[in-house]
Amino acid sequence: MDENGARERKESLNGSTGPSMDSPAKDKQAVKAAVLQKDVGLLSGIGFIVGSMIGSGIFISPKAVLLYSGAVGPCLLTWAACGVISTMGALCYAELGTMITKSGADYSYLMEAFGPILAYLYSWTTVIVLRPSAFAIITLSFAEYASTPFYPGCTPPLIITKCLAAAAICVVVSVNCFSARLARYVQNFFTAAKLLIIFIITGAGIVLLAQGNTENFSNAFSDTPPSFGAIGLAFYNGLWAFDGWNQLNFITEEVKDPYRNLPLAIIIGIPLVSVCYVMVNIAYFTVMTSTEVLVSPAVAVTFGDKVFYPLSWIVPLFVVFSTIGTANGSCFSGARLTYVSGREGHMVKILSYISPKYCTPLPALILNGVLAMFYLIPADINTLINYFSFAQWMFYGLTTLGLIVMRFTRKELHRPVKVPVVIAGLMVLVSGYLVLAPIIDKPEVEYIYCAVFMFSGFLLYYPFVHRKVEWARKLMRPITIYLQLLMEVVPPEKTE
Amino acid sequence: MSFKKHEAHIDLVTCIDNPAFKDVDGEGDGSAAKTSDDDHAGEEKQESAAAEEYTQIKPYAGMPKEVLLLYSSQARYRVPREILFWLTVACTLAIVALTITVIAVSPRCLSWWQLSPVYQVYPRSFKDSDGDGVGDLKGIQEQLAHFEFLNIKSVWISPFYRSPMRDFGYDVEDFRAIDPLFGTMRDFEELLAEMHNKGLKLIMDFIPNHTSDRHRWFNMSRMRDPHYEDYYVWTDCNATAPRPNNWVSVFGNSSWTFDEVRGQCYLHQFLKEQPDLNFRNPHVRQEMTDIIHFWLDKGVDGFRMDAVKHILEAAHLRDEPQVDPNKPPEMITSEWDLHHDYTTSQLGLHDLLRHWRAEMDGYSREPGRYRFMVTESYDYHEVEKTMMYYGTPLVKESDFPFNFYLLDLPQNSSGLWVQHLVHLWMANMPKGRWPNWVVGNHDRPRIASSVGQAYIRVLNMLLLTLPGTPTTYYGEEIGMENINITDSQIQDPAGKHNASASRDPQRSPMQWSGDMNAGFSSNKTNSTWLPVHSDYRRVNVEVQKKDEDSVLSQYRFLNALRQSELALQRGWFCYVRADASVFSFLRELDGLDRAFLMVLNFGKEAAVTDLSSIPELPDQLTVLMSTNHVSDGKVLQKSHIPTEAGEGLVIQYSISTRFNPTHSEQCYVSEKACYIRVVDILYKC
Repeated sequence: MDENGARERKESLNGSTGPSMDSPAKDKQAVKAAVLQKDVGLLSGIGFIVGSMIGSGIFISPKAVLLYSGAVGPCLLTWAACGVISTMGALCYAELGTMITKSGADYSYLMEAFGPILAYLYSWTTVIVLRPSAFAIITLSFAEYASTPFYPGCTPPLIITKCLAAAAICVVVSVNCFSARLARYVQNFFTAAKLLIIFIITGAGIVLLAQGNTENFSNAFSDTPPSFGAIGLAFYNGLWAFDGWNQLNFITEEVKDPYRNLPLAIIIGIPLVSVCYVMVNIAYFTVMTSTEVLVSPAVAVTFGDKVFYPLSWIVPLFVVFSTIGTANGSCFSGARLTYVSGREGHMVKILSYISPKYCTPLPALILNGVLAMFYLIPADINTLINYFSFAQWMFYGLTTLGLIVMRFTRKELHRPVKVPVVIAGLMVLVSGYLVLAPIIDKPEVEYIYCAVFMFSGFLLYYPFVHRKVEWARKLMRPITIYLQLLMEVVPPEKTE
Repeated sequence: MSFKKHEAHIDLVTCIDNPAFKDVDGEGDGSAAKTSDDDHAGEEKQESAAAEEYTQIKPYAGMPKEVLLLYSSQARYRVPREILFWLTVACTLAIVALTITVIAVSPRCLSWWQLSPVYQVYPRSFKDSDGDGVGDLKGIQEQLAHFEFLNIKSVWISPFYRSPMRDFGYDVEDFRAIDPLFGTMRDFEELLAEMHNKGLKLIMDFIPNHTSDRHRWFNMSRMRDPHYEDYYVWTDCNATAPRPNNWVSVFGNSSWTFDEVRGQCYLHQFLKEQPDLNFRNPHVRQEMTDIIHFWLDKGVDGFRMDAVKHILEAAHLRDEPQVDPNKPPEMITSEWDLHHDYTTSQLGLHDLLRHWRAEMDGYSREPGRYRFMVTESYDYHEVEKTMMYYGTPLVKESDFPFNFYLLDLPQNSSGLWVQHLVHLWMANMPKGRWPNWVVGNHDRPRIASSVGQAYIRVLNMLLLTLPGTPTTYYGEEIGMENINITDSQIQDPAGKHNASASRDPQRSPMQWSGDMNAGFSSNKTNSTWLPVHSDYRRVNVEVQKKDEDSVLSQYRFLNALRQSELALQRGWFCYVRADASVFSFLRELDGLDRAFLMVLNFGKEAAVTDLSSIPELPDQLTVLMSTNHVSDGKVLQKSHIPTEAGEGLVIQYSISTRFNPTHSEQCYVSEKACYIRVVDILYKC
């Protein structure tokens, strides 16, 4: 059969017998360029930020803040202050994100500000360890909350949590592979779910307050003020609950009208989360004394048992929703970072390829998923990865420092959002403190291992990225071809 | 996971409702690349000319979409892609199915009260933090590290309610207050929070049968306040004699006392300062339930229900039958003179307990916050009455009633006797329930004194290797003994009545160190409420911690073993041998090849045990631990297992054939579970 004939037949069939609404859809599919689509609007952007920030922490263990701040009053103030700090941090990222409209957040900014070496270090640490392990950890906590109801009074067997986490990774990665839009819908749904439960808890708290359950607030500041070191630890723990404010910056290229939507989403999303956190804490304190909060293994669950019975099961259910939503967000943005660093040549090129059919960065997603699976294997990944937490704050600090640096070195760049440089300076200080606080508090040899791992990235950087040795390229070529054909992925097209 | 080219391709064209076209499409996909190319070329609107050129181009790294699509649907790429995709789907489904299966077949997990021994703290004697010679709550908080050291999670603290201390706390003046002697409510809350922080559970006494005669209710009742009039059991009688009936108190003499204020007699099954509450009055039942709520709200993890069998008495107040019918009625002064048909275990008792159990269940919903209930009832030879407290398969009652039968150990020293006492419980316990073992408490002489110091190690070994929850009365873990009390030193009201019945000897201060007052009191000069045992320089926690072979270290080792070994936690318990000296049993779990054999010599002489008739045991047995440390690690022939008097051996061995399938009449298990080593899970079997 001759190809023109076939096309004509198809076209004529499309025009005549096919349902008319399908025809434009097909056309659209056909002309869609092989690029990541700009599909994230303002609402999705906010959902993405909120969904990534609110994990399980606020439901399970908001107690570390209470423990170190000592009393109800300082505890609530700490939460509010953490909200302010992370809003400031996010404002810096809003400036960076609108100035450099590339996906990959810190990576792209570090690249602009300090050049490729630091950016490489960031992508190496983040792509290989931080993102996949964060993905693994959040799926593990999903698995834990999903399986606990079946094991009252004891911890579920390891195999259960690992299996469920693995299944969750498979499902989340698959969803993200097949459709960025579906992934976004999933994200929006779970974000709505977690906001709903926060709304329910807050509402119950307000009702209880109105009924006069205020005894726990009566002498909120009576105790002796906490020491300076304790305040620092309270902030350290509180700020972890806000981690994720820069998630949207990882996907800047997919945001519609980023100059407007990116800063708006940040300005709305982060204060929203702060208000939620403070309100939820107030709600907790209406029914629980601070001792009870400290003692409870899962604060929101205790709250649910006290307030919502016989509907108390909704709290654990929504915590499960919340964790799976966060996992989805983590997977989505994590893959974008891998994708960008592949594009810049800091990772193998194939990682920057996208599927023309689904318009998703398939290889990056799969790598992220496979690494996350790998991180499920060790018995206790959490403690292991905790040692890497300093790296996270170090890069936040460096990125904000980059903002200040670029004020001088890259004056020419257009900055639709411009934050006072004082804020950036403050953020650098806060980040510096958060890097050093845990190390000084508990100096351990593991931190050195982490640093050694980070710098070991240069062993690969020098020959493969800097020198671009020929044999490596020769070796990669057939692999790339095969993987490209196997996964059906192509380099992103230039759309400009 | 996303190599779904073929399906998507069809999806793309399914809107074209034309079978003829589909044929072409299928053909193209199945045959040579050329045809396939044509298909794609057909899809691309304007690329047809370009596509023809691309057919000449080989795939290259970084090829664009147009080139890629020429080759990617070739079978050599498509088939692996689809295999990988479906493999991923299959794996995910398999994992989910596996998870659901594991969840479905998992046996119920053991609760905290099953995993750890219950440690009884007598608060007067545990640790004195303020130097008044009497222990207190702050003192207990200071010594929480002791429980962590021993890996004990459940701590039962004898009563610390506000009380005039006629019966050292078992006469409660206010159920909602802490006695100032022990501290304040704030002390209690801090203790509880600290215990929860450390993962410890607090069990407290609940004393429903009676109050103190100083309780507000009793005062209102004797004044005939209309609401409180019937809170206690009153009946008409004379100030002098005779009593309304022949009932006698547990502490001796009539259980009726005339109250001059009210002009009636009130019932007290214990001291006359402990009037019995009238549980036939709904207000009383409600008050007591409210008190349970009060403490559960505070976060208490469980109750030990005191003297439950006495809660109700027959309303008709008839005389109880005499044990010796010929005895003159005026000589009936002791509880042993009567059959307590009308004062104990009356109809309605279990309904009350079940109601309380249900109230506690309301607080147990939160994960990890199961509220535990244990009942105290001495039923002596009527073991079936004790077993009633287990409830029925449909209605829960206590998690277990205390098993006091091992308290009879001193009556006889032989392996057979021990087996008899153990079997008394195992044979009578309702199927599927959880056993427990008590060898001492604040009411009974210390086992180390009554059985002999030589047996304390083997007793601890017995308790910690039997199935179920062992109870440890404070001091048993270091082998504390009774103190000798002169008549002038007697503190126990029951002892003042009858010196031989004094419970003071077993209530002496805990021996923490070799310091003054054995480290019990922070004040090193003051005397303590009861004298410290003279052996405290040798028998104390500090010294024994340093000694690897001490009673304390062996207790700690065995408890750690118990909590780390599934076979000891929830495995089969099988009798192996019992003779004049030795009691031997084994613990094994289906699917687990590590099992434990215990050979405990309770006799008066050394013995050699021959277990060669048991084919399931390997010929050579290695001693994991002996109460006599020189035997640790010894390899013994199973035909020749020597033990000294008072020596116990824990032998760990590997099995291929298990003992229980062929000896089901000798074996017990609370809930059958099997182990799969590969995936490290248990399943119902």
